[in-house]
Amino acid sequence: MIKLRLFSALLGVGLLHAQKPAAIVASANGFIATLDEGQKSKALFDFNDAAQRVKWSNLPTSMVPRAGLKMGDLNPAQKKAAMTLLSTALSKKGFEKVMAIVEGDESLKQSSPERSKAMFGHDLFYISILGKPSEKETWMLQFGGHHLALNVTMVGKEGILTPSLTAAQPAKYVVDGKTIRPLGNETDKAFELINALDEGQRKQAILNYKVADLVLGPGQDGKTIQPEGLKASALNAKQQAMLLGVIEEWAGIVNEPAAAVRMADIKAKMADTWFAWSGPTTVGLPAYYRIQGPTLVIEYAPQPLGGDPTMHIHTIYRDPTNDYGKKSAAK
Amino acid sequence: MRLLVSALLAMLLAGMGYAHRLDEYLQATLLAPDKDGVEVQLQLTPGVAVLPLVLPLIDRNSDGRISPEEETSYARWVANDLELRLDGRVVSLEVIEKEFSSLDQMREGLGGIRLKLRGKGYGRELRFKNRHLPELSAYLVNCLASEGLSTGTPMRDEAQRSIGFVYSVAGAETLSRLLYPAAFGLAGLGALLSLRRVRSLFL
Repeated sequence: MIKLRLFSALLGVGLLHAQKPAAIVASANGFIATLDEGQKSKALFDFNDAAQRVKWSNLPTSMVPRAGLKMGDLNPAQKKAAMTLLSTALSKKGFEKVMAIVEGDESLKQSSPERSKAMFGHDLFYISILGKPSEKETWMLQFGGHHLALNVTMVGKEGILTPSLTAAQPAKYVVDGKTIRPLGNETDKAFELINALDEGQRKQAILNYKVADLVLGPGQDGKTIQPEGLKASALNAKQQAMLLGVIEEWAGIVNEPAAAVRMADIKAKMADTWFAWSGPTTVGLPAYYRIQGPTLVIEYAPQPLGGDPTMHIHTIYRDPTNDYGKKSAAK
Repeated sequence: MRLLVSALLAMLLAGMGYAHRLDEYLQATLLAPDKDGVEVQLQLTPGVAVLPLVLPLIDRNSDGRISPEEETSYARWVANDLELRLDGRVVSLEVIEKEFSSLDQMREGLGGIRLKLRGKGYGRELRFKNRHLPELSAYLVNCLASEGLSTGTPMRDEAQRSIGFVYSVAGAETLSRLLYPAAFGLAGLGALLSLRRVRSLFL
């Protein structure tokens, strides 16, 4: 059994869930205050730094270098301040999910051959801030590394999490006897939904072709594809609620007040939202799905790389109309 | 070439003892029709296991680097392996952008090739097929959404090597409605004049 401690436990971070913008700004300034000048020059960017904004990927940081401050280079107080900022900007569930992804990478490191260990691990996650943390001005928090890219744009009271990438490898691991599945809900809820559809609905939802990977993954900012599958207007109320439950796994990563605003927007556009599935509907087998609405793209794609595709999952969460908060900032 | 690639791949995979995404060349295509033509955006990502097969096809002189000439040559090869048809007519694709990762990046399993191609013309039905290295490849093909573009339900093969759909672009429809009858009218007039000329030769 892999013996690991959760990253948050290692850092001794208590979960903070004061979600008001003032608390997030205070946490950001608290983190910045722990940094020396050299670290500040690495962690802080102009809000309009377009190159930094898009410097994220699903790939290990040794392959696609990230800018910002590396967790492994921070002292315990600085790490704690960084985690406090992250936990304040995210919901409780969101923070736990993110930490489970980070710790999954540590698990991957432990199980990797010696020559690959340097590519993985919780020390290789980066934090950066674009713009000046403010309750009025637009600024952005980035946190990510291998299999994780969080882009949280704060526009006054709004917290926009798109585009963000969550992924997991291994998608299931054990810590102190407890099984951790970072994207377990994303998997289980979607299988429940596809199996709750009647035959006619399923015929529309299931695509008659294989989907080998994310279509709108890293590097595809600003693009939207033609929607396919089953329109949510053809779902009954219970099925629509199930679909919203799947969506919430991404929309609910950001702090609760911001997530509530986002979910209300998604719910209002439910009739124009599509659900598409590719692959088997038997629980435990690898299947791709996509949820697409006027302001939403979610993709979930098991990856054959590494053997069992159910143990290596990539997902993307976008709002093509408001990625990086561009629409909110323009208001 | 196809037989050689198949044989090499079979040998390689037999040696590795497994077969999964590592052994695939992911070819992701996004199609963007507009009123003047169709833009074809291709992202090619060779998996680590197929890299020994793909790299010699790009680095033709095996000098360990991809020269601009080799980039151009490979991009043209890819373009020739793609088939774009508008209303049944084959539309030639011109490479307008290309971006190759370094060989080192490709060897790390990261590298990719981005190609942007364009075909001129407009139609009501678009069909696209990718015939590039089918023995090695997994495919994605989608149509980008854009303002003014309407598409019908796309039809694909199971492997996503091909796609077909009807489409219309706001503005282009009006233009084509005016141009097509005019073109048919001119063609008809031409045919009539030719016929009269032929008849005059015999009568």
